Amino acid sequence: MKLLFSQTMTIVRHGFKIEWANPERWLSPILFAITMLILFSFSVGTIEGPDTAKLLVAETYLTAFFSLQISFARFLEPDQQDGVFSLLRTYPLSGSAWYLGKYITVMIMGLLILIPTIFLTSFLHAKSGVSLMSIPVITVAVTALSGMAALGVLLSTMTMGSGSKQILYPLLYFPLTAPVLISAVEASKSILVDNVNLQSLMSSWLGLLLIFGVMSFTLGILLFGELVKAE
Amino acid sequence: MLKVSDLHFGYRFRPILQGVSCEVSAGEILHIVGTNGSGKTTLMSILAGLTKETAGSITLTCDNQEIADRRQKTEYLPAEANGLYGKMDAMDNLRFWQKLRGLSPSNEDIIAALAQWDLDHPLIRSNFPTEKYSTGMKRRLALARVQLSGTPLWLLDEPLYGLDAKGIVQFQSILSQHLDAGGAVAVVSHDTVPLETFRPKVLEIEKRTAS
Amino acid sequence: MESEKLHVGMSLLMIGLVALTWTWGLKWAPTELHMGEVYRIIYVHVPAAFTAFFSAFILLIASIVTLIKKESSAGLWGRSVAEVGLIFTVLTLATGSIWGRPTWGVWWEWDARLTTTLILALLYCGYLILYSSLAAGPQRNKIAATLGIIIAADVPIIYKSVTWWRTLHQPPTLIRPGGESTIDPEMRIALVSCMVVMIIVGAFLTYQRYRNLALAEELEKLSYEQTP
Repeated sequence: MKLLFSQTMTIVRHGFKIEWANPERWLSPILFAITMLILFSFSVGTIEGPDTAKLLVAETYLTAFFSLQISFARFLEPDQQDGVFSLLRTYPLSGSAWYLGKYITVMIMGLLILIPTIFLTSFLHAKSGVSLMSIPVITVAVTALSGMAALGVLLSTMTMGSGSKQILYPLLYFPLTAPVLISAVEASKSILVDNVNLQSLMSSWLGLLLIFGVMSFTLGILLFGELVKAE
Repeated sequence: MLKVSDLHFGYRFRPILQGVSCEVSAGEILHIVGTNGSGKTTLMSILAGLTKETAGSITLTCDNQEIADRRQKTEYLPAEANGLYGKMDAMDNLRFWQKLRGLSPSNEDIIAALAQWDLDHPLIRSNFPTEKYSTGMKRRLALARVQLSGTPLWLLDEPLYGLDAKGIVQFQSILSQHLDAGGAVAVVSHDTVPLETFRPKVLEIEKRTAS
Repeated sequence: MESEKLHVGMSLLMIGLVALTWTWGLKWAPTELHMGEVYRIIYVHVPAAFTAFFSAFILLIASIVTLIKKESSAGLWGRSVAEVGLIFTVLTLATGSIWGRPTWGVWWEWDARLTTTLILALLYCGYLILYSSLAAGPQRNKIAATLGIIIAADVPIIYKSVTWWRTLHQPPTLIRPGGESTIDPEMRIALVSCMVVMIIVGAFLTYQRYRNLALAEELEKLSYEQTP
């Protein structure tokens, strides 16, 4: 148990060192998010009227989805160099510790993309009077992220050996996370437009997000160990 | 220490290893030889636990106790890779692999090991990404990782690749330290001369002939 | 040779069964009151949709077996059933769209079931592309099985979210019990027969595809044995 914890922490700490050593890895998704938001503004124009909140929410989550996908798809790249991943498999490293360590790292990296995206939309569209920087909306967003991150780690591991992973990753990732996008957008919309509180959302959209999160995480813990075991 | 009996392995339908048996005890070197494509690297990756054998058994015993998870007592050096994170320095790389084994080495320990491989210069060991190392330096750093692991069984696949004359002497001295401490080594190497001083056991793997 | 004859016979039987049930549905079954003759496409559409989703369930089972029993041929079964599932999702989408034109007035409506089928079709494609992009071996079987399990587990959640998205903005509970509309007994019998036949056809196609893939592997094995 102690070793499991220390291995998890080693993976997390090392993960951050890698990100720190390769700043472009976390900077590029954020830059991508900014680019997306600018393009949205150009294509949609000034947002006003009754649909303001709806459009802003849609814009934010779509942007976050795309930049998170970029970050998740490239997540295991440092481990692929110089036979690191194979060597990790020969180490007495528990599959759960490995998955958990990667999950925590991805989750924190995801937050560093998600929160700035939400902030940027609210900042750039401050004139519309709708702000997504509220505790309930961020709770919904983080719940959505927890499921996506769990699935993201698993998918990166699966597509690692594939030659066409650049196109394959989004092709698998977006259909699988479609319910997350729907739920996150709908939940945030009801918070902003209808002033619904989180409690009543628990029996609907937020509940669905939680189920997705729990399911992805359970599958991740169960299947990741299987994927890295000696074949 | 390591006992392999009647090991078989086939990739898809192509049989590669057919009934390999060998034994290494503490203080011994097993030199695995064979022609290109005879399955030496495959045997190493099976011993390292990267690939699963199709039949046969591998038992590892340390201090008269059979080890259930061989990975705990084995350190592997692959043939064509060094397992280094290119953007990180030597100290961070070594520390990472140590910590995964549950060890917490002090900086002095790591520097001492690096000194044996001539990599301990402050400008080389810290804040200098290993991707800028030369081939031989990377190999020496990977060997330092093996040395620091503290495991009794080392699996070295072409360890001398890229090493210069001085590196080979360093390798020999580390090897004899390890053997004196009761360790065992399995080596795949085309360069047999540096190993001869250790009088290794030789395991020859024959290439499968067409049936 | 004997088994070849059996297979040809089986194939003819399948074609006969499909022809029989479709004629029943398209010609003999009673006309529907509100929709008229248009409704008859359900005898193709509903069984196809059912088989498409049932394939996902079989994919789940094949995937679990692959992970538990490493040496089994379940990996090939998984691939075969995904291919057949893809055919049936495409058939469902096509018939759904054709049915939608006269009833909804448009070729496509964001109907919950149709949308879920579209996503399922994409997932089957993803599965097959991933499968073909990986090098053959036990690792590929494991990865494909993992994806199979994820897809099967995700489909109910996709369905639930799309249903809510289409119907209610404030769905009250997670599970909403709902009864389907009543249907004429004769129509029901025809529909159930069509469904059973479609499932049998799906199973037959999966089996044929499996045999095909197994033969390809056998061939590869023989060619390996001939070369040093």
